[in-house]
Amino acid sequence: MALKILSVDDSRTIRLIVTRAFKAYDCIICEAANGEEGLAAAAREKPDLVILDVTMPVMDGVTMLGKLKDDPDLKAIPVIMLTAESSQENVLQISRLGVRDYLAKPFKEEQLLAKAGRVVPLVKKAA
Amino acid sequence: MNTTIPNLIDEVSDLLNIGVSEVFRTMLTLEAKPAAVLHDWHASGETLVAGSVGFIGDVNGVVYVHVTAGFARKLASRMLGLAEAELEGDEMVNDVIGELSNMIVGNVKSRLCDSGAPCVLTIPSIVRGQNFKIEPVHSCERRLLAFRCDADHIMVELLMKHST
Repeated sequence: MALKILSVDDSRTIRLIVTRAFKAYDCIICEAANGEEGLAAAAREKPDLVILDVTMPVMDGVTMLGKLKDDPDLKAIPVIMLTAESSQENVLQISRLGVRDYLAKPFKEEQLLAKAGRVVPLVKKAA
Repeated sequence: MNTTIPNLIDEVSDLLNIGVSEVFRTMLTLEAKPAAVLHDWHASGETLVAGSVGFIGDVNGVVYVHVTAGFARKLASRMLGLAEAELEGDEMVNDVIGELSNMIVGNVKSRLCDSGAPCVLTIPSIVRGQNFKIEPVHSCERRLLAFRCDADHIMVELLMKHST
């Protein structure tokens, strides 16, 4: 069965890059443009992995991560933060909230795939 | 970060130099090389697209990343892996320029935080038009940095002020 990956980022550019990165793999990509939409999508879709931005309007990624981890039905979903804000303090803060990994922007698609592949089993689509 | 504003703005300018090169190399496989600032670049008559992201906290400032609309489309096409004809209006181009600006300033913000000057980023915004220029208020310092990607130019404008 295809993996379900939820990309939460206010930038359509990043969501398109994330979708492209996983194109060769047996994955379904769901998208949300902020933390509030992301929480709703996580509850609806029950993704295998969330790739989450930090700075977003309406609800930021740190708040969404906290709410996700407070929800008994959603707290087991692994989260990789994809952030332009990779200061030590920021990384410590998100680590404390239970993030599985983080990737600093700018990033290469291969780096994202490598991080994701350590959290969920990525399987290439049959040719 | 205990330093006077002329030193601080020079430090942030240096961080921007690194950030622009790193973001263009990683996200676009393009070399953005430091270049001489063009005179009257804002009054060329060409449509310009400027991505703007601010940082607020112990240090306060805003960065504008200006490119021509033509170069902005090329960058969007390259970053999204789409032909220019596939780009839907200006919206996708604006989003790419906003995201590139966000990464450049995010890089600077992280290094400022790590050196003891905590700050947060603002949401990116876009200015698009012809013959416009950013005028700093009296309490701001301004620096202008220029880069070249082959025949195309990137102008990066930094405005900074002290926290009160």
